[in-house]
Amino acid sequence: MSPVTTGIVGIALLLLLFLLRMPIAFAMSLVGLVGFAYLADPGAALSLLAHDIFEQFSSYPLSVIPMFILMGSFAFASGISRRLFDTTYTWVGQIRGGLTIATVIACAGFAAICGSTAATAATMGKIALPEMKKRGYDDKLATGTIAAAGTLGILIPPSTVLIVYGILTEESIGKLFIAGVLPGLLLSLSYVATVVLICMRNPRLGPPGERTGWGMKLRATGGIIEAFILFLLTIGGLFLGWFSPTQAGAIGAGGALLIGLGRRQLSWKKFFEAAKDGLRTACMVIFIITGAVIFGHFMAVSTIPFALADWIGQLPLPPMAVMGVIILIFFMGGFFMDSMALIVVTIPIFFPIVMKLGFDPIWFGVIVVLVAEMGVITPPVGVNVFVIKGIAPDIPLHSIFRGILPFLAALLIITGMLMAFPQIATFLPSLISY
Amino acid sequence: MAFLPKFDKFNRLISGWFEWVGLAGLLMMMLITCVDVIGAKLFRTPILGAIDIVMLSQVVAISFAAASALILGRHVCAEFFMVMLPKRVQAVIDGIICLLGLALFILIVWRLCTYGYSFQTGGEESATARIPLYPFAYGVALAGIPVCLVFLYQFFKAIERMVKK
Repeated sequence: MSPVTTGIVGIALLLLLFLLRMPIAFAMSLVGLVGFAYLADPGAALSLLAHDIFEQFSSYPLSVIPMFILMGSFAFASGISRRLFDTTYTWVGQIRGGLTIATVIACAGFAAICGSTAATAATMGKIALPEMKKRGYDDKLATGTIAAAGTLGILIPPSTVLIVYGILTEESIGKLFIAGVLPGLLLSLSYVATVVLICMRNPRLGPPGERTGWGMKLRATGGIIEAFILFLLTIGGLFLGWFSPTQAGAIGAGGALLIGLGRRQLSWKKFFEAAKDGLRTACMVIFIITGAVIFGHFMAVSTIPFALADWIGQLPLPPMAVMGVIILIFFMGGFFMDSMALIVVTIPIFFPIVMKLGFDPIWFGVIVVLVAEMGVITPPVGVNVFVIKGIAPDIPLHSIFRGILPFLAALLIITGMLMAFPQIATFLPSLISY
Repeated sequence: MAFLPKFDKFNRLISGWFEWVGLAGLLMMMLITCVDVIGAKLFRTPILGAIDIVMLSQVVAISFAAASALILGRHVCAEFFMVMLPKRVQAVIDGIICLLGLALFILIVWRLCTYGYSFQTGGEESATARIPLYPFAYGVALAGIPVCLVFLYQFFKAIERMVKK
Protein backbone atom coordinates (compact mmCIF):
# COMPACT_ATOMS: atom_id res chain seq x y z
CA MET A 1 0.00 0.00 0.00
CA SER A 2 1.19 3.51 -0.71
CA PRO A 3 1.67 5.85 2.28
CA VAL A 4 -1.42 7.88 1.34
CA THR A 5 -3.60 4.75 1.04
CA THR A 6 -2.26 3.50 4.38
CA GLY A 7 -3.10 6.88 5.90
CA ILE A 8 -6.67 6.72 4.57
CA VAL A 9 -7.07 3.17 5.94
CA GLY A 10 -5.69 4.44 9.27
CA ILE A 11 -8.22 7.29 9.42
CA ALA A 12 -11.05 4.84 8.59
CA LEU A 13 -9.83 2.48 11.33
CA LEU A 14 -9.65 5.37 13.78
CA LEU A 15 -13.24 6.37 13.01
CA LEU A 16 -14.30 2.72 13.43
CA LEU A 17 -12.65 2.56 16.86
CA PHE A 18 -14.38 5.84 17.81
CA LEU A 19 -17.72 4.31 16.81
CA LEU A 20 -16.94 1.19 18.85
CA ARG A 21 -16.58 3.30 22.03
CA MET A 22 -12.82 3.06 22.43
CA PRO A 23 -11.59 6.09 24.41
CA ILE A 24 -10.49 8.61 21.78
CA ALA A 25 -7.01 9.12 23.28
CA PHE A 26 -6.26 5.39 23.25
CA ALA A 27 -7.71 4.88 19.75
CA MET A 28 -5.44 7.61 18.33
CA SER A 29 -2.41 6.14 20.14
CA LEU A 30 -3.11 2.61 18.92
CA VAL A 31 -3.80 3.52 15.28
CA GLY A 32 -0.85 5.93 15.27
CA LEU A 33 1.46 3.25 16.67
CA VAL A 34 0.36 0.51 14.25
CA GLY A 35 0.31 2.88 11.25
CA PHE A 36 3.79 4.23 11.98
CA ALA A 37 5.09 0.69 12.53
CA TYR A 38 3.66 -0.34 9.14
CA LEU A 39 5.00 2.65 7.20
CA ALA A 40 8.32 3.11 8.98
CA ASP A 41 9.68 0.44 11.32
CA PRO A 42 8.09 -1.45 14.27
CA GLY A 43 11.12 -0.86 16.49
CA ALA A 44 11.10 2.87 15.75
CA ALA A 45 7.33 3.01 16.38
CA LEU A 46 7.70 1.39 19.82
CA SER A 47 10.58 3.71 20.76
CA LEU A 48 8.57 6.71 19.59
CA LEU A 49 5.58 5.57 21.68
CA ALA A 50 7.51 5.80 24.97
CA HIS A 51 9.28 8.99 23.86
CA ASP A 52 6.01 10.73 22.90
CA ILE A 53 4.28 9.78 26.14
CA PHE A 54 7.13 10.98 28.35
CA GLU A 55 7.68 14.15 26.28
CA GLN A 56 4.01 15.16 26.36
CA PHE A 57 3.47 14.34 30.02
CA SER A 58 6.56 16.38 30.92
CA SER A 59 5.86 19.22 28.46
CA TYR A 60 6.02 22.62 30.15
CA PRO A 61 3.77 24.31 27.51
CA LEU A 62 1.10 21.67 28.30
CA SER A 63 1.23 22.49 32.02
CA VAL A 64 -1.00 25.48 31.28
CA ILE A 65 -3.89 23.01 30.86
CA PRO A 66 -3.96 21.51 34.38
CA MET A 67 -3.47 24.95 35.89
CA PHE A 68 -6.43 26.63 34.18
CA ILE A 69 -8.61 23.54 34.73
CA LEU A 70 -7.70 23.62 38.43
CA MET A 71 -8.56 27.33 38.54
CA GLY A 72 -12.06 26.56 37.19
CA SER A 73 -12.54 23.70 39.68
CA PHE A 74 -11.53 25.85 42.65
CA ALA A 75 -13.65 28.78 41.39
CA PHE A 76 -16.66 26.46 41.30
CA ALA A 77 -15.97 25.01 44.75
CA SER A 78 -15.43 28.51 46.17
CA GLY A 79 -19.01 29.53 45.40
CA ILE A 80 -17.96 32.31 42.97
CA SER A 81 -20.57 31.15 40.45
CA ARG A 82 -23.38 31.45 43.02
CA ARG A 83 -22.44 35.03 43.87
CA LEU A 84 -22.13 35.92 40.16
CA PHE A 85 -25.64 34.65 39.57
CA ASP A 86 -27.09 36.43 42.63
CA THR A 87 -25.55 39.73 41.52
CA THR A 88 -26.73 39.54 37.93
CA TYR A 89 -30.19 38.45 39.05
CA THR A 90 -30.45 41.45 41.39
CA TRP A 91 -29.65 43.72 38.45
CA VAL A 92 -31.84 42.23 35.70
CA GLY A 93 -34.25 39.86 37.48
CA GLN A 94 -37.19 42.27 37.34
CA ILE A 95 -37.44 42.32 33.55
CA ARG A 96 -39.17 39.65 31.43
CA GLY A 97 -36.90 36.64 31.09
CA GLY A 98 -34.69 38.27 33.73
CA LEU A 99 -33.59 34.98 35.28
CA THR A 100 -32.40 33.63 31.94
CA ILE A 101 -30.68 36.94 31.08
CA ALA A 102 -29.01 36.84 34.51
CA THR A 103 -27.89 33.27 33.73
CA VAL A 104 -26.31 34.33 30.40
CA ILE A 105 -24.44 37.23 32.04
CA ALA A 106 -23.36 35.04 34.98
CA CYS A 107 -22.15 32.37 32.51
CA ALA A 108 -20.11 35.03 30.67
CA GLY A 109 -18.67 36.11 34.02
CA PHE A 110 -17.89 32.56 35.10
CA ALA A 111 -16.40 31.86 31.66
CA ALA A 112 -13.89 34.60 32.47
CA ILE A 113 -12.44 32.42 35.23
CA CYS A 114 -13.27 28.92 33.93
CA GLY A 115 -12.34 27.50 30.53
CA SER A 116 -14.78 24.62 30.19
CA THR A 117 -18.28 24.53 28.66
CA ALA A 118 -19.50 21.57 30.68
CA ALA A 119 -18.26 23.10 33.96
CA THR A 120 -19.92 26.43 33.15
CA ALA A 121 -23.22 24.76 32.18
CA ALA A 122 -23.15 22.42 35.19
CA THR A 123 -22.32 25.22 37.60
CA MET A 124 -25.01 27.58 36.39
CA GLY A 125 -27.49 24.78 35.79
CA LYS A 126 -27.33 23.72 39.43
CA ILE A 127 -27.90 27.30 40.60
CA ALA A 128 -30.28 28.76 38.01
CA LEU A 129 -32.53 25.84 37.05
CA PRO A 130 -34.20 25.41 40.47
CA GLU A 131 -34.84 29.20 40.58
CA MET A 132 -36.34 29.17 37.10
CA LYS A 133 -38.57 26.22 37.96
CA LYS A 134 -39.73 27.95 41.13
CA ARG A 135 -40.70 31.06 39.19
CA GLY A 136 -42.57 29.19 36.46
CA TYR A 137 -40.10 29.62 33.60
CA ASP A 138 -40.67 27.53 30.49
CA ASP A 139 -38.56 24.34 30.57
CA LYS A 140 -37.33 24.74 27.00
CA LEU A 141 -36.27 28.36 27.53
CA ALA A 142 -34.61 27.57 30.87
CA THR A 143 -32.61 24.53 29.78
CA GLY A 144 -31.82 25.87 26.29
CA THR A 145 -30.41 29.09 27.77
CA ILE A 146 -28.15 27.33 30.27
CA ALA A 147 -26.84 24.77 27.75
CA ALA A 148 -26.12 27.50 25.19
CA ALA A 149 -24.70 30.07 27.62
CA GLY A 150 -22.41 27.36 29.02
CA THR A 151 -20.63 27.35 25.67
CA LEU A 152 -19.24 30.80 26.48
CA GLY A 153 -16.80 28.91 28.73
CA ILE A 154 -14.56 28.02 25.79
CA LEU A 155 -14.71 31.37 23.99
CA ILE A 156 -14.23 33.96 26.72
CA PRO A 157 -10.68 33.55 28.11
CA PRO A 158 -9.36 31.41 29.68
CA SER A 159 -10.40 28.64 27.30
CA THR A 160 -9.12 25.06 27.34
CA VAL A 161 -10.00 24.63 23.65
CA LEU A 162 -8.03 27.76 22.66
CA ILE A 163 -5.09 26.56 24.79
CA VAL A 164 -5.07 23.19 23.00
CA TYR A 165 -5.46 24.91 19.62
CA GLY A 166 -2.53 27.19 20.49
CA ILE A 167 -0.36 24.23 21.50
CA LEU A 168 -1.22 22.24 18.35
CA THR A 169 -0.62 25.16 15.98
CA GLU A 170 2.19 26.85 17.95
CA GLU A 171 0.21 30.11 18.08
CA SER A 172 0.43 32.55 21.01
CA ILE A 173 -2.04 31.53 23.74
CA GLY A 174 -2.14 35.18 24.90
CA LYS A 175 -3.22 36.34 21.44
CA LEU A 176 -5.79 33.55 21.17
CA PHE A 177 -7.23 34.47 24.56
CA ILE A 178 -7.57 38.15 23.70
CA ALA A 179 -9.04 37.23 20.29
CA GLY A 180 -11.90 35.46 22.09
CA VAL A 181 -12.92 38.53 24.11
CA LEU A 182 -14.93 40.54 21.52
CA PRO A 183 -16.62 37.50 19.90
CA GLY A 184 -17.42 36.24 23.44
CA LEU A 185 -19.05 39.53 24.41
CA LEU A 186 -20.89 39.68 21.08
CA LEU A 187 -22.16 36.13 21.54
CA SER A 188 -23.27 36.90 25.11
CA LEU A 189 -25.20 39.92 23.81
CA SER A 190 -26.77 37.84 21.04
CA TYR A 191 -27.93 35.27 23.64
CA VAL A 192 -29.45 38.07 25.75
CA ALA A 193 -31.17 39.45 22.63
CA THR A 194 -32.48 35.95 21.85
CA VAL A 195 -34.03 35.68 25.34
CA VAL A 196 -35.55 39.18 25.04
CA LEU A 197 -37.08 38.33 21.64
CA ILE A 198 -38.50 35.00 22.89
CA CYS A 199 -40.04 36.68 25.94
CA MET A 200 -41.43 39.57 23.85
CA ARG A 201 -43.25 37.05 21.65
CA ASN A 202 -44.56 35.07 24.60
CA PRO A 203 -44.20 36.84 27.98
CA ARG A 204 -45.49 33.79 29.89
CA LEU A 205 -42.30 31.88 29.08
CA GLY A 206 -40.18 34.08 31.35
CA PRO A 207 -42.16 35.97 34.00
CA PRO A 208 -40.38 38.93 35.65
CA GLY A 209 -39.13 38.74 39.25
CA GLU A 210 -39.49 41.23 42.11
CA ARG A 211 -38.20 44.79 41.74
CA THR A 212 -34.93 45.60 43.44
CA GLY A 213 -33.75 49.04 44.59
CA TRP A 214 -30.42 50.67 43.74
CA GLY A 215 -29.09 50.07 47.25
CA MET A 216 -29.69 46.34 46.89
CA LYS A 217 -28.14 46.31 43.42
CA LEU A 218 -24.99 48.05 44.61
CA ARG A 219 -24.68 45.80 47.66
CA ALA A 220 -25.04 42.71 45.45
CA THR A 221 -22.29 43.97 43.15
CA GLY A 222 -19.82 43.46 45.98
CA GLY A 223 -20.29 39.73 45.46
CA ILE A 224 -18.52 39.74 42.09
CA ILE A 225 -15.56 41.94 42.93
CA GLU A 226 -13.41 38.91 43.79
CA ALA A 227 -14.19 37.23 40.43
CA PHE A 228 -13.37 40.48 38.65
CA ILE A 229 -10.05 40.81 40.51
CA LEU A 230 -9.20 37.16 39.76
CA PHE A 231 -9.89 37.71 36.06
CA LEU A 232 -7.88 40.95 35.99
CA LEU A 233 -4.97 39.32 37.80
CA THR A 234 -4.72 36.20 35.64
CA ILE A 235 -5.82 37.25 32.17
CA GLY A 236 -4.67 40.87 32.64
CA GLY A 237 -1.32 39.63 33.95
CA LEU A 238 -1.01 37.35 30.93
CA PHE A 239 -1.78 40.16 28.45
CA LEU A 240 0.57 42.57 30.17
CA GLY A 241 3.37 40.03 30.03
CA TRP A 242 3.67 39.63 33.82
CA PHE A 243 3.03 35.89 33.67
CA SER A 244 3.52 33.03 31.25
CA PRO A 245 0.25 31.13 30.54
CA THR A 246 1.17 28.41 33.07
CA GLN A 247 1.99 31.01 35.72
CA ALA A 248 -1.28 32.84 35.02
CA GLY A 249 -3.21 29.59 35.48
CA ALA A 250 -1.38 28.69 38.69
CA ILE A 251 -1.88 32.18 40.14
CA GLY A 252 -5.56 31.94 39.15
CA ALA A 253 -5.90 28.53 40.81
CA GLY A 254 -4.15 29.82 43.94
CA GLY A 255 -6.34 32.94 43.91
CA ALA A 256 -9.58 30.93 43.57
CA LEU A 257 -8.38 28.72 46.43
CA LEU A 258 -7.69 31.76 48.63
CA ILE A 259 -11.15 33.21 47.80
CA GLY A 260 -12.75 29.92 48.87
CA LEU A 261 -10.77 29.89 52.10
CA GLY A 262 -11.45 33.58 52.79
CA ARG A 263 -15.19 33.09 52.19
CA ARG A 264 -15.15 29.91 54.34
CA GLN A 265 -16.65 27.99 51.41
CA LEU A 266 -13.94 25.34 51.11
CA SER A 267 -13.92 22.44 53.53
CA TRP A 268 -11.14 19.85 53.18
CA LYS A 269 -13.66 17.54 51.48
CA LYS A 270 -14.69 20.17 48.92
CA PHE A 271 -11.06 21.09 48.33
CA PHE A 272 -10.00 17.52 47.56
CA GLU A 273 -13.11 16.85 45.47
CA ALA A 274 -12.46 19.96 43.37
CA ALA A 275 -8.76 19.16 42.98
CA LYS A 276 -9.45 15.52 42.03
CA ASP A 277 -12.08 16.60 39.51
CA GLY A 278 -9.59 19.02 37.95
CA LEU A 279 -6.91 16.31 37.90
CA ARG A 280 -9.16 13.81 36.08
CA THR A 281 -10.15 16.41 33.46
CA ALA A 282 -6.52 17.46 32.94
CA CYS A 283 -5.52 13.80 32.65
CA MET A 284 -8.17 13.24 29.97
CA VAL A 285 -7.10 16.31 27.95
CA ILE A 286 -3.36 15.55 28.10
CA PHE A 287 -3.96 11.90 27.15
CA ILE A 288 -5.95 13.11 24.10
CA ILE A 289 -3.13 15.46 23.09
CA THR A 290 -0.58 12.66 23.54
CA GLY A 291 -2.73 10.37 21.40
CA ALA A 292 -2.93 13.11 18.76
CA VAL A 293 0.86 13.50 18.75
CA ILE A 294 1.33 9.74 18.24
CA PHE A 295 -1.34 9.75 15.52
CA GLY A 296 0.27 12.89 14.06
CA HIS A 297 3.56 11.03 13.47
CA PHE A 298 1.65 8.43 11.49
CA MET A 299 -0.14 11.16 9.50
CA ALA A 300 3.19 12.85 8.79
CA VAL A 301 4.78 9.68 7.33
CA SER A 302 1.58 8.98 5.38
CA THR A 303 1.98 12.50 3.82
CA ILE A 304 -1.83 12.92 3.87
CA PRO A 305 -1.98 16.48 5.36
CA PHE A 306 0.48 17.78 2.76
CA ALA A 307 -1.21 15.94 -0.14
CA LEU A 308 -4.58 17.26 1.01
CA ALA A 309 -3.26 20.81 1.37
CA ASP A 310 -1.77 20.63 -2.15
CA TRP A 311 -4.96 19.19 -3.62
CA ILE A 312 -7.24 21.77 -1.99
CA GLY A 313 -4.81 24.56 -2.88
CA GLN A 314 -5.17 23.62 -6.56
CA LEU A 315 -8.98 23.48 -6.50
CA PRO A 316 -10.62 26.21 -8.62
CA LEU A 317 -12.50 27.50 -5.57
CA PRO A 318 -12.22 30.84 -3.77
CA PRO A 319 -10.51 30.48 -0.33
CA MET A 320 -13.72 31.44 1.51
CA ALA A 321 -15.59 28.56 -0.18
CA VAL A 322 -12.88 26.13 0.97
CA MET A 323 -13.13 27.64 4.46
CA GLY A 324 -16.90 27.12 4.29
CA VAL A 325 -16.34 23.43 3.51
CA ILE A 326 -13.84 23.10 6.41
CA ILE A 327 -16.32 24.75 8.79
CA LEU A 328 -19.07 22.43 7.54
CA ILE A 329 -16.81 19.42 8.25
CA PHE A 330 -16.15 20.74 11.78
CA PHE A 331 -19.86 21.40 12.25
CA MET A 332 -20.83 17.88 11.11
CA GLY A 333 -18.00 16.35 13.15
CA GLY A 334 -19.29 18.20 16.21
CA PHE A 335 -22.51 16.18 15.96
CA PHE A 336 -20.61 12.99 16.72
CA MET A 337 -17.45 13.94 18.60
CA ASP A 338 -16.47 15.80 21.72
CA SER A 339 -15.24 19.31 20.80
CA MET A 340 -11.77 18.80 22.27
CA ALA A 341 -11.28 15.46 20.51
CA LEU A 342 -12.59 16.89 17.23
CA ILE A 343 -10.12 19.74 17.33
CA VAL A 344 -7.19 17.54 18.28
CA VAL A 345 -7.94 15.10 15.44
CA THR A 346 -8.75 17.60 12.71
CA ILE A 347 -6.48 20.60 13.33
CA PRO A 348 -3.26 18.81 12.26
CA ILE A 349 -5.00 17.88 8.99
CA PHE A 350 -6.75 21.18 8.23
CA PHE A 351 -4.33 23.74 9.66
CA PRO A 352 -1.80 23.44 6.78
CA ILE A 353 -4.66 24.06 4.32
CA VAL A 354 -5.83 27.11 6.24
CA MET A 355 -2.28 28.50 6.24
CA LYS A 356 -1.86 27.76 2.54
CA LEU A 357 -5.06 29.67 1.77
CA GLY A 358 -3.70 32.68 3.66
CA PHE A 359 -6.17 32.86 6.54
CA ASP A 360 -5.20 34.37 9.89
CA PRO A 361 -4.45 31.48 12.31
CA ILE A 362 -5.77 33.42 15.32
CA TRP A 363 -9.04 34.17 13.52
CA PHE A 364 -9.32 30.52 12.49
CA GLY A 365 -8.83 29.49 16.14
CA VAL A 366 -11.83 31.59 17.17
CA ILE A 367 -13.91 30.23 14.28
CA VAL A 368 -13.00 26.68 15.32
CA VAL A 369 -14.12 27.42 18.89
CA LEU A 370 -17.45 28.84 17.67
CA VAL A 371 -18.09 25.72 15.60
CA ALA A 372 -17.01 23.54 18.53
CA GLU A 373 -19.59 25.42 20.62
CA MET A 374 -22.26 24.31 18.17
CA GLY A 375 -21.06 20.74 18.65
CA VAL A 376 -21.58 20.80 22.41
CA ILE A 377 -25.25 21.76 22.07
CA THR A 378 -26.32 19.67 19.06
CA PRO A 379 -27.43 16.01 19.09
CA PRO A 380 -26.40 13.26 19.48
CA VAL A 381 -23.20 14.14 21.40
CA GLY A 382 -24.14 17.55 22.82
CA VAL A 383 -22.17 17.41 26.07
CA ASN A 384 -23.87 20.45 27.59
CA VAL A 385 -27.29 19.00 26.86
CA PHE A 386 -26.42 15.85 28.79
CA VAL A 387 -25.04 17.95 31.62
CA ILE A 388 -28.36 19.81 31.86
CA LYS A 389 -30.28 16.55 31.52
CA GLY A 390 -28.30 15.22 34.48
CA ILE A 391 -29.32 18.23 36.56
CA ALA A 392 -32.98 18.16 35.41
CA PRO A 393 -33.79 14.48 34.70
CA ASP A 394 -37.53 15.24 34.51
CA ILE A 395 -37.13 17.43 31.40
CA PRO A 396 -37.07 15.34 28.17
CA LEU A 397 -33.97 15.56 25.98
CA HIS A 398 -35.98 16.69 22.96
CA SER A 399 -37.30 19.66 24.96
CA ILE A 400 -33.75 20.73 25.79
CA PHE A 401 -32.68 20.38 22.14
CA ARG A 402 -35.73 22.38 21.00
CA GLY A 403 -34.93 25.06 23.57
CA ILE A 404 -31.42 25.33 22.15
CA LEU A 405 -32.50 26.00 18.53
CA PRO A 406 -32.93 29.82 18.84
CA PHE A 407 -29.50 30.05 20.51
CA LEU A 408 -27.96 27.88 17.79
CA ALA A 409 -29.33 30.40 15.28
CA ALA A 410 -27.64 33.20 17.24
CA LEU A 411 -24.39 31.23 17.23
CA LEU A 412 -24.61 30.76 13.45
CA ILE A 413 -25.23 34.49 12.95
CA ILE A 414 -22.17 35.40 15.05
CA THR A 415 -20.05 32.86 13.13
CA GLY A 416 -21.26 34.44 9.86
CA MET A 417 -20.41 37.91 11.19
CA LEU A 418 -16.94 36.74 12.15
CA MET A 419 -16.40 35.34 8.66
CA ALA A 420 -17.59 38.60 7.09
CA PHE A 421 -15.66 40.80 9.54
CA PRO A 422 -12.55 38.92 10.74
CA GLN A 423 -11.45 42.11 12.51
CA ILE A 424 -13.86 41.23 15.35
CA ALA A 425 -11.35 38.54 16.32
CA THR A 426 -8.11 40.00 14.98
CA PHE A 427 -8.36 43.61 16.19
CA LEU A 428 -7.44 43.07 19.85
CA PRO A 429 -4.59 40.59 19.14
CA SER A 430 -3.10 43.13 16.73
CA LEU A 431 -2.62 45.47 19.70
CA ILE A 432 -0.31 43.08 21.56
CA SER A 433 3.12 42.19 20.31
CA TYR A 434 3.88 38.69 21.66
CA MET B 1 -17.27 -15.14 37.80
CA ALA B 2 -17.33 -14.78 41.54
CA PHE B 3 -13.93 -13.11 41.75
CA LEU B 4 -15.03 -10.06 39.73
CA PRO B 5 -16.39 -7.91 42.61
CA LYS B 6 -13.16 -8.51 44.56
CA PHE B 7 -11.08 -7.70 41.48
CA ASP B 8 -13.07 -4.47 40.98
CA LYS B 9 -12.63 -3.51 44.65
CA PHE B 10 -8.89 -4.16 44.40
CA ASN B 11 -8.63 -2.02 41.23
CA ARG B 12 -10.55 0.84 42.79
CA LEU B 13 -8.34 0.71 45.88
CA ILE B 14 -5.08 0.73 43.89
CA SER B 15 -6.32 3.40 41.46
CA GLY B 16 -7.50 5.50 44.42
CA TRP B 17 -4.02 5.38 46.00
CA PHE B 18 -2.40 6.22 42.68
CA GLU B 19 -4.78 9.14 42.25
CA TRP B 20 -3.64 10.59 45.58
CA VAL B 21 -0.07 10.48 44.26
CA GLY B 22 -1.26 12.24 41.08
CA LEU B 23 -3.08 14.82 43.18
CA ALA B 24 0.11 15.55 45.11
CA GLY B 25 1.83 16.12 41.74
CA LEU B 26 -0.90 18.52 40.59
CA LEU B 27 -0.89 20.55 43.80
CA MET B 28 2.92 20.63 43.68
CA MET B 29 2.69 22.15 40.17
CA MET B 30 0.42 24.92 41.44
CA LEU B 31 2.38 25.55 44.63
CA ILE B 32 5.83 25.66 43.00
CA THR B 33 4.60 27.95 40.21
CA CYS B 34 2.92 30.35 42.65
CA VAL B 35 5.95 30.46 44.97
CA ASP B 36 8.26 30.92 41.99
CA VAL B 37 6.18 33.81 40.57
CA ILE B 38 5.85 35.56 43.93
CA GLY B 39 9.52 34.99 44.69
CA ALA B 40 10.63 36.25 41.28
CA LYS B 41 8.30 39.26 41.04
CA LEU B 42 8.33 40.50 44.63
CA PHE B 43 11.65 39.34 46.09
CA ARG B 44 13.71 38.77 42.92
CA THR B 45 14.47 35.23 44.12
CA PRO B 46 12.88 32.65 41.83
CA ILE B 47 13.06 28.96 42.69
CA LEU B 48 16.00 27.28 40.97
CA GLY B 49 14.67 24.71 38.49
CA ALA B 50 11.00 25.59 39.07
CA ILE B 51 10.17 24.67 35.47
CA ASP B 52 11.86 21.26 35.88
CA ILE B 53 9.88 20.58 39.05
CA VAL B 54 6.61 21.62 37.36
CA MET B 55 7.34 19.40 34.34
CA LEU B 56 8.19 16.35 36.44
CA SER B 57 5.25 16.95 38.80
CA GLN B 58 3.03 16.96 35.73
CA VAL B 59 4.42 13.56 34.71
CA VAL B 60 3.39 12.21 38.11
CA ALA B 61 0.01 13.99 38.10
CA ILE B 62 -1.16 12.83 34.68
CA SER B 63 0.18 9.27 34.69
CA PHE B 64 -1.01 8.39 38.19
CA ALA B 65 -4.54 9.70 37.52
CA ALA B 66 -5.03 7.62 34.36
CA ALA B 67 -6.49 4.49 36.00
CA SER B 68 -8.91 6.42 38.17
CA ALA B 69 -10.06 8.50 35.19
CA LEU B 70 -10.64 5.25 33.25
CA ILE B 71 -12.69 3.67 36.05
CA LEU B 72 -14.81 6.82 36.34
CA GLY B 73 -15.35 7.00 32.56
CA ARG B 74 -13.58 10.35 32.22
CA HIS B 75 -11.67 9.43 29.04
CA VAL B 76 -13.83 10.78 26.22
CA CYS B 77 -15.48 8.26 23.92
CA ALA B 78 -18.34 8.41 21.41
CA GLU B 79 -21.42 6.63 22.78
CA PHE B 80 -24.08 7.32 20.17
CA PHE B 81 -23.47 4.32 17.88
CA MET B 82 -22.96 1.54 20.43
CA VAL B 83 -26.14 2.30 22.35
CA MET B 84 -28.14 1.43 19.22
CA LEU B 85 -26.74 -2.13 19.12
CA PRO B 86 -28.18 -5.19 20.94
CA LYS B 87 -26.72 -5.68 24.43
CA ARG B 88 -24.87 -8.90 23.55
CA VAL B 89 -23.23 -7.34 20.48
CA GLN B 90 -22.23 -4.39 22.68
CA ALA B 91 -20.63 -6.82 25.13
CA VAL B 92 -18.65 -8.59 22.36
CA ILE B 93 -17.37 -5.26 20.97
CA ASP B 94 -16.58 -3.95 24.47
CA GLY B 95 -14.53 -7.11 25.09
CA ILE B 96 -12.52 -6.59 21.90
CA ILE B 97 -11.96 -2.90 22.68
CA CYS B 98 -10.79 -3.76 26.21
CA LEU B 99 -8.30 -6.28 24.79
CA LEU B 100 -6.97 -3.62 22.38
CA GLY B 101 -6.65 -1.16 25.28
CA LEU B 102 -4.92 -3.81 27.38
CA ALA B 103 -2.48 -4.59 24.55
CA LEU B 104 -1.71 -0.88 24.10
CA PHE B 105 -0.99 -0.36 27.79
CA ILE B 106 1.13 -3.52 28.08
CA LEU B 107 3.24 -2.08 25.25
CA ILE B 108 3.34 1.31 27.01
CA VAL B 109 4.47 -0.23 30.32
CA TRP B 110 7.13 -2.34 28.57
CA ARG B 111 8.48 0.52 26.43
CA LEU B 112 8.53 2.99 29.31
CA CYS B 113 10.54 0.51 31.39
CA THR B 114 13.03 0.32 28.50
CA TYR B 115 12.95 4.12 28.16
CA GLY B 116 13.57 4.54 31.90
CA TYR B 117 16.48 2.09 31.70
CA SER B 118 18.02 4.11 28.86
CA PHE B 119 17.68 7.25 31.02
CA GLN B 120 19.28 5.41 33.95
CA THR B 121 22.24 4.09 32.01
CA GLY B 122 22.67 7.36 30.11
CA GLY B 123 22.51 9.44 33.31
CA GLU B 124 19.77 11.71 31.87
CA GLU B 125 18.85 14.67 34.09
CA SER B 126 16.54 17.67 33.88
CA ALA B 127 18.05 20.80 32.34
CA THR B 128 18.30 23.15 35.33
CA ALA B 129 17.72 21.36 38.62
CA ARG B 130 19.67 18.26 37.45
CA ILE B 131 16.95 15.89 38.70
CA PRO B 132 17.46 12.32 37.41
CA LEU B 133 14.72 11.48 34.89
CA TYR B 134 14.71 7.70 35.10
CA PRO B 135 12.54 7.38 38.25
CA PHE B 136 9.83 9.38 36.48
CA ALA B 137 9.89 7.18 33.36
CA TYR B 138 9.67 4.11 35.63
CA GLY B 139 6.85 5.92 37.47
CA VAL B 140 4.82 6.32 34.27
CA ALA B 141 5.37 2.61 33.55
CA LEU B 142 4.24 1.73 37.07
CA ALA B 143 1.15 3.95 36.71
CA GLY B 144 0.24 2.03 33.55
CA ILE B 145 -0.14 -1.25 35.49
CA PRO B 146 -3.46 -0.35 37.19
CA VAL B 147 -4.75 0.80 33.77
CA CYS B 148 -3.96 -2.70 32.44
CA LEU B 149 -5.79 -4.21 35.43
CA VAL B 150 -8.83 -2.00 34.81
CA PHE B 151 -8.93 -3.06 31.14
CA LEU B 152 -8.59 -6.70 32.23
CA TYR B 153 -11.48 -6.31 34.68
CA GLN B 154 -13.61 -4.63 32.02
CA PHE B 155 -12.77 -7.49 29.61
CA PHE B 156 -13.98 -10.10 32.14
CA LYS B 157 -17.05 -7.97 32.79
CA ALA B 158 -17.79 -7.93 29.05
CA ILE B 159 -17.48 -11.75 28.93
CA GLU B 160 -19.88 -11.98 31.86
CA ARG B 161 -22.35 -9.78 29.95
CA MET B 162 -21.91 -12.00 26.85
CA VAL B 163 -22.75 -15.25 28.62
CA LYS B 164 -25.50 -13.81 30.83
CA LYS B 165 -28.97 -15.09 29.94
